[in-house]
Amino acid sequence: MKTARRWRNASKAAIAVSALSFLASCAKDAPQDTWQPAGPNAERIDNLQRPVFYVAGVVGVIVFVAVAWAMYRYRDRGQAIPEQTHGKPVVEIVLTVIPVLILLGVAVPTASTIFKLAKTSDTEMTINVTGQQWWWEYDYPASGSNIEQYGITAPIVTSGQLVIPENTKVLLRVTSRDVIHSYWIPKLNGKKDSVPGRVHLLRMEGSKPGIYAGQCTEFCGLSHSYMRMEAVVLSRADYDAWVANQLEEYTAPEAGTDAAAGEALFIQQCSRCHQVNGLKNSDGSLNIAAPEQNLVSGAAPNLTNLMTRNTFAGASWDLLTPECRDNVWNASSADFGERYLAGVSTECLNQKDLREWLRNSPAKKPMYADPTKLASTGGLYRGMPNLGLTEDQINIIVAYLLERK
Amino acid sequence: MITTSSKLFYGLGAVSIAGSIVWMIAHDGGALGAVALVFIATALIFLGAIASYVRDGHVLSTDTEQHDSAPAAQRGPDRSWFPLGVALSLGTLVVGLVTSPGIFKVGVALLIAMLGEWLIQNWSDRASSDPSYNERVRGRVVHPLEIPIGGALLLAVIVLSFSRIFLSLSVNAGPIVFAIVGALVLFFGSMLSIRPGTSRRVVGTICGVALVGLSVVGVVLALDGEREQLTEAAEEDHFAHRACGEEADYSDEDAVRAVSAKSSVAATVTLKNGVLYAEMDGYSGPLTSITLQRSLNSNILFQNEDEGEHRMVVTYGKVVESLGGGVERETLLQACTSLVAKGGQQGVVVNVPKPSFSSTEGFSITVPGLEGASVEVLVP
Repeated sequence: MKTARRWRNASKAAIAVSALSFLASCAKDAPQDTWQPAGPNAERIDNLQRPVFYVAGVVGVIVFVAVAWAMYRYRDRGQAIPEQTHGKPVVEIVLTVIPVLILLGVAVPTASTIFKLAKTSDTEMTINVTGQQWWWEYDYPASGSNIEQYGITAPIVTSGQLVIPENTKVLLRVTSRDVIHSYWIPKLNGKKDSVPGRVHLLRMEGSKPGIYAGQCTEFCGLSHSYMRMEAVVLSRADYDAWVANQLEEYTAPEAGTDAAAGEALFIQQCSRCHQVNGLKNSDGSLNIAAPEQNLVSGAAPNLTNLMTRNTFAGASWDLLTPECRDNVWNASSADFGERYLAGVSTECLNQKDLREWLRNSPAKKPMYADPTKLASTGGLYRGMPNLGLTEDQINIIVAYLLERK
Repeated sequence: MITTSSKLFYGLGAVSIAGSIVWMIAHDGGALGAVALVFIATALIFLGAIASYVRDGHVLSTDTEQHDSAPAAQRGPDRSWFPLGVALSLGTLVVGLVTSPGIFKVGVALLIAMLGEWLIQNWSDRASSDPSYNERVRGRVVHPLEIPIGGALLLAVIVLSFSRIFLSLSVNAGPIVFAIVGALVLFFGSMLSIRPGTSRRVVGTICGVALVGLSVVGVVLALDGEREQLTEAAEEDHFAHRACGEEADYSDEDAVRAVSAKSSVAATVTLKNGVLYAEMDGYSGPLTSITLQRSLNSNILFQNEDEGEHRMVVTYGKVVESLGGGVERETLLQACTSLVAKGGQQGVVVNVPKPSFSSTEGFSITVPGLEGASVEVLVP
């Protein structure tokens, strides 16, 4: 009796888990759904994985049914053990040839897709992607077609959001400053490991304007789950506007404002690690950050145009309030560029998360940033430490950062 | 009872005493020789007393049972070489004391080893009256030390001999010799596997001859010295860091020859017909400007397709040190290859900590001695 009850309970649990798994696959508008490609590279993968999935599904069903039938048909009913034989050449040959044929059928399109995804000779734009604990840096080299076709006359460096023009064959040169990470925007292409000392190439192309989410897919330490990324696809005109904005000279805050006070505090506290291009010290010299002296990775996000991005802290949190974020994410292709390029306004700023971050960043995102526990790294941090800012200091820093666009 | 041999010792003792008296009379009271003779006489009388006590260790001829079992009938211990070993060790130690601390340490180690072996040998010789058992007892104690140390020493001799040989041979001859030696070892091993019945003596002889031959060649070539290039590199202070641009044919600088550095390069920089240009994955044509990430190890490969030997120098800023009294010293931050001959390649790993706009002169890749051969380096 007890055994039968246990079997019934186990069966119910198995059915419930299966049903939940099945229902989870029905999610709509999942931002990282590999079945909803939004670019030619992801479509190539999709065109491969769908038939492979169907074939594998059919084979799986046949195997499951055969096993279930054999288990039922030949279950132990106290009968005598039948004669034991070994070897049935015809069956063995058939069961070998069929999988070989299936695998060959899968291998041909797979190899073709791999070669197509690895093609780099038709590259129209190149971007360096560098992973570190726990954020991604993007820099746009001022070289070759980047200058000639896209007007990138000086290197642009940003983080959190990769911005690319639509229908453009972009080549990402993926590498890492510390440990192995993996770059993956599911709707635009497959994943690519970023390995220290190596440059891996990844094609990226978006078919229509919008934001496409991804996340690091190689466990890389404490805050691996917070290492997110977003790819922003803009129309060519909007992209040109974005480039022009990124290349604009630094504009100092108006004297006497909170932002001006924030600039002074930024130089004192933040610019040890964070670079703001064009920012000058009180003596008129250029302010050059020194992340290599403070961080294991030797780099911190460049904040020159922070408020042109929609995210911060490794794309873990939005710089926009939920309403403003929805306004951008749900915009039509025609409206998207304008809304994205508007950046972060005072009204749309996600004050809550940004202030929490400035108040005590390690409390918000786990990092090795306790100054008393840095013996193993020679005093170098992994992530941003708690700066101990007062509320007044946070106010003026926020005021300064709001002008960084 | 005064036995036969004790009579001899007592008699010699008596002669020695008599001799000492004669000595004193003949030398007018001189005591030195007399004292020596008295000491000899004392020793001889002592030995005579021992001989009397053990009755010369003889077995009575009528006691036939003891003909095989008496200690005197047993095989004595083998001849020991350890006194000779101790003497040689002491000699090494003394020579080392005068010449080199290394030889002195070797002498100390040898002395300790020889004394240890000697003590254990003596102890085991007295373990029983059965020499084979004594040998087993000795082996049980010293083999756990002798075998691994002996094996390590043998390996060291082989490795040292090989290293001396290959440091002496030319770069081209080295691989050929290595291939021949490898083939011979393979051949010998194959023969052994084909003929497992080969006697141990034959195998041991071949191995012994090979070892001796290897050692002799190693010693001869070690005395002959290393090949010319290595000698020159040593004269040029091969391992010292030199300022880029200084001529040093065999100096490494920061050059990286690792395969990994060549397999995944950030940029390949080529010198051809006096023109320097860069190539990077993702760019269709040659570049006169490249962008490197900040604070990132970037592998840059230099290939020389020009006549003559050239080096590539990456300059990425400078460090200003204050020497006091208003005096400052500027040091360029540079990484460079060694001189690369036509058709050659060499890589350098560059990690640029500051953005290029922090330097008024900018960052660049150049070839010393070639005006205009330059590639701009941008770091955001």
